[in-house]
Amino acid sequence: MFIVMIIYYFISAYIAGMLIWNFVREKKDMQQMLLYLIVLVPLVLRIFHIR
Amino acid sequence: MVLHIGIILAIMILAYAWAGWKKLSVELCMLASAVAGGLAGAFIKTPPIGALARHLIEGTFTYLDVILVFTTATIFIAIVAESGGVNYVVRGIIKAFYRKRIIALLLLMVVILIPGALTGAGSVSILTVGAPSALALGYLGISKKKVTAILFIIAGLSAAAPPVNIWAMIVSAGTAIPYVGFELPLGIPVIVLGTFSMLVLGWKREEKKELEEILKEMPEVPDKMTWWRVLLPFLVFFGLIIVARIRPFSFPILGLPLEFTIAGIIALLVSPKKINILILSRDTVKLLLPLLATMAVVGSLQQIMTATGVRGMISYAVISMPLILLYFLLIIIIPFSEGILTYGGAAIIGIPLVWMLDSIGLHATVVIAGLSLLWPLGDGLPPTALIGRLSVMMADYKGSYWSFLKATWIPWIVITIVGILMIIFSAKLAFLVRWSM
Amino acid sequence: MSRNSMIKTVSVIIFAVLTTWSGIQFYQHRHYQLPIVAGPGVTKVVKLSDYCAGLKGTMADTHVFFLQGKEEGGKILIIANTHSNEPVAILSALVMIENARVEKGTVIIIPQFNNSGSRNTKPGDGYPLFFDVPTGWGSKKFRMGNRNASPLDQWPDPDVYVHYPERQLLSYLDVRNTNRTWPGRSDGPLMEKVTYAAMQLLREEHVDLAIDIHGAETMFPVTNCIVAPDKSMRIATIASMTVTAMEGFENHVEPSPKGFRGLSHREIGDYSDTLPFLLEAPTPFLDQPTGPKTVDLLLKGKDPFILSLSKQKKLFVPYDKSGWPMEKRVGQHCSVVLEIMHQYSMKNPDRAILVSNAPHYADLVKNGVGHYFHNPNEAKKGSLYFN
Repeated sequence: MFIVMIIYYFISAYIAGMLIWNFVREKKDMQQMLLYLIVLVPLVLRIFHIR
Repeated sequence: MVLHIGIILAIMILAYAWAGWKKLSVELCMLASAVAGGLAGAFIKTPPIGALARHLIEGTFTYLDVILVFTTATIFIAIVAESGGVNYVVRGIIKAFYRKRIIALLLLMVVILIPGALTGAGSVSILTVGAPSALALGYLGISKKKVTAILFIIAGLSAAAPPVNIWAMIVSAGTAIPYVGFELPLGIPVIVLGTFSMLVLGWKREEKKELEEILKEMPEVPDKMTWWRVLLPFLVFFGLIIVARIRPFSFPILGLPLEFTIAGIIALLVSPKKINILILSRDTVKLLLPLLATMAVVGSLQQIMTATGVRGMISYAVISMPLILLYFLLIIIIPFSEGILTYGGAAIIGIPLVWMLDSIGLHATVVIAGLSLLWPLGDGLPPTALIGRLSVMMADYKGSYWSFLKATWIPWIVITIVGILMIIFSAKLAFLVRWSM
Repeated sequence: MSRNSMIKTVSVIIFAVLTTWSGIQFYQHRHYQLPIVAGPGVTKVVKLSDYCAGLKGTMADTHVFFLQGKEEGGKILIIANTHSNEPVAILSALVMIENARVEKGTVIIIPQFNNSGSRNTKPGDGYPLFFDVPTGWGSKKFRMGNRNASPLDQWPDPDVYVHYPERQLLSYLDVRNTNRTWPGRSDGPLMEKVTYAAMQLLREEHVDLAIDIHGAETMFPVTNCIVAPDKSMRIATIASMTVTAMEGFENHVEPSPKGFRGLSHREIGDYSDTLPFLLEAPTPFLDQPTGPKTVDLLLKGKDPFILSLSKQKKLFVPYDKSGWPMEKRVGQHCSVVLEIMHQYSMKNPDRAILVSNAPHYADLVKNGVGHYFHNPNEAKKGSLYFN
C-alpha cells in the first residue's frame, strides 16, 4: 500500500509538471494561464504533503 | 440570516453574469462568483475574511481524485490513438458488422456500458472506448451530432448501471440504507433505456456508402499493428479492475489513476510507433485544461456556497416544496444540481430528499435507483457538463454544444419519465429489490 | 519585461502567497495537538498500536485511556470521534477521562478513534478548522475533523470498497470511514488496521460492552437513539426507557440492520463476545439545509432553516428556538453511557462496572461542557497527554 501511495505522489508531480510546462509555454492567453495555476494549487499542496 | 444569504446569492449570480459579460471562460465566471460570494459573506464573518483563501483553496481538493482520473485516462487513450490502435479497432468493427447494423449498434452499446458500470464513472466509458466507438458509429452512417448524443446518453446510463453507481452509493451511505438490492432496479431500466436510445439515435443511416469506399477513406494504420497490441492495454486495465473485485483482500488497492497509468505504460510499450510521451502528455493536459479547471473551481464554488449558507438555503427550498410540485420540479432540480455540483448534488439534495420520501412511505432503494437515472442527464448541463463536454471532445463534434444537446431530447424525456415513475411507484416496484437479493 | 510576462509573474506571486497562506493553516490544523488532562480515575494510558503493530508511527495511532477500579469487575470500551466531524463524541469522552472515577471494573476510552480523520478537513463543506469550548480558565481549542481519514495517510481510494470479510460493496469513500471498516484486518488498508486493533483490544481485554459515540442530522431517522443488534437489544431498550423517564430527554432504540456491513454495532456483535451499542445525538450542524457552517452553529445548534423544517414536521427530533446546544448533546451521551453500564451491572453483578463523579445530563445542561475540562497548564506532572 505504501508503495502505491508513493506512486500517487509521482503521478501528481508528473501532472503538475505538465501543467507548469504548459503555463511557461503559454504566452498570450491570460485566461488559460490562470486556469493552469488554479489546477496546480491542490496538486502542489498534496505533493508537499500539506493537505 | 436568511436575508443575508439571499443577498450573498444575488451577488454570486451578478458576479457570474459580470464575468460572462467580460467574456471570461465558464471556469473563471464560476471562480468570480465564488470569490464574490466569499467576500460578501466575509462582511458578516461567514466565512471570516482570514479563512476565505483557505476555503477557496480547500474547495479545489473536492475533486482532486477526479482530476487525476481524467488526466491519466486521457493520456492513456491518447497513447492508444497515437499508436494507431483506435483506427485499427474501428476498421475491424466496420469490416465485421457493417452489414449487420443493429447488432453493431447494440454491441457498441454494451462496449460503452461496461467501463462505466464497473467504475461508476461515465467519464471512464468515454475516455476508454469513446473515441473508437464514435468513429465506428460515424462509419455506420450516423451524423457526428447524433454520435455525440449517443456517447453522452449511453455513458450516462453506464454510470447509473450496476454494480457500481456512485450517486446511489453516496445517498445510501448518507441515509444508512445498505447498498444492496440495486441490481434489478438499476439494471433493467439501464438496458431497456440504453437499447431504446441507441436505436432512436442510430436507426437512421444518414449517409450510405459502400463498405469498400469506407475502408478506403479510413485513416491508415501502422503495418505492425495487431489485435493483441490494441487489446493488451485494455485487457490489463479491465483485468486490474476485475482482479481487485474478485480478490479484494489479497490484491492491493491501485485506484483508477494508477490503473490507467499502468495501462498507458503497456500501450506505450506495445505501440508499433515511437511515441514521445512527454510531448503527448503536455498536449493532452492542455486539451483537458477546461475540464480540469472546472473540477477545481466547482469545488471552490461548492465550499463557498456552504460556508456562506447559500447551499443550505437551496437545499432547504427543495425540501420545503409541496410534494406534487416537487415531483414535477425533480425533472429540473436533479439534473441541474448535478450540472452545478456533480456528485455534490447527490449529497446536498439527494440525501435529505430520500429521507423525506422514505418517511412518506416510498421505497428508498427504488427511489434512489429512479433518481440515479436523472443524475447522469445533468452531466450534460453547464457549468460543468462533464460527460457532455467529453462526448463532444471524443466524437470530435464541431457544432455548437447546444445543438448536440438538443439531439438528445427523445432519450432525455423518456429517461426522465421512467426515473420519475420509478420514484412515484417505488413501493409497487419493491419486488425488484427483493429479487436482486 | 512585456506586459504579459509581467501579468504572468504577478499571478504566480499571488497564487504562491494564497497557497502558502492556506497551506500554513492546513499544516497547523493537521499538526495541532489537543491537550488531554488524565483525571484521577485514569490508571494507565497505552497506544492503539499496542493491539496492531501496523499502526505504529502512523497518524492513525491514538491514545487509549484505562480507568481501572480497585475492585475487579466488568469492562467497557467507549469509542469517540469515529467520525471527527461529530465532535460531541470527543467532548463526552473527555468529560469522562478528566472526571470519572471507577469503583469497580474497568472503563477504557479512545477519545480520538479516527485520529487521521480528525486531522483532515472536509473539502466542499465549508467547515471551520477549529472550535473553542469556553471553560472557567479560558477556552479549550479542538480540531474540527472529517468523517473520513486523511488521504495523506491512506491514498488512493479503490473504485469501490469491498468490505472485509463480508464482500459487500460500499462507496469508495468508506475505505477511509472507521464506521464501515469493522471488523478490519491486520494487513488491510490503514483504517481497517484501526478497527482491527480495536477488535483485538476487545478480545484481549475481554471487554463486556462497547459504546461508539456519534452525532447525527436532525433530518436523519437514526438520531436521538441507541442503535443495537439483537444481543444488546434488551439492555439498550431498558437504558433508553430509563433515561427518557428519569432524566427528561427523548431517546429511542433502533435495531442494527443485519444487511448493512462494516458498522461497529453490527461487526463487534458478530465478531466478538462484546455487546455493542452506537449512540446518536442530534447535530444540526451536519444537516444539509442549514445556514453557514459556523462554530456557533456547531456549539449551539440554532438554525432558522432547521427551525422552519421542524414546523413543517420534517425533522425526526423535537426542535425549537433554543436549538440543540452542545451541553444537551454531551449530557445525553454521558447519561446514556452511564445508564447502559448501570443496567448491565444490575444483570451481571460479578461483572459490574461502577463509576462515580461522572456528570449526568442535568449537570451538563446546568454547568456547560467546559466546566468539566481541567486547565492543562495546571495539570499534575505525567497526567497531560496530547492527541
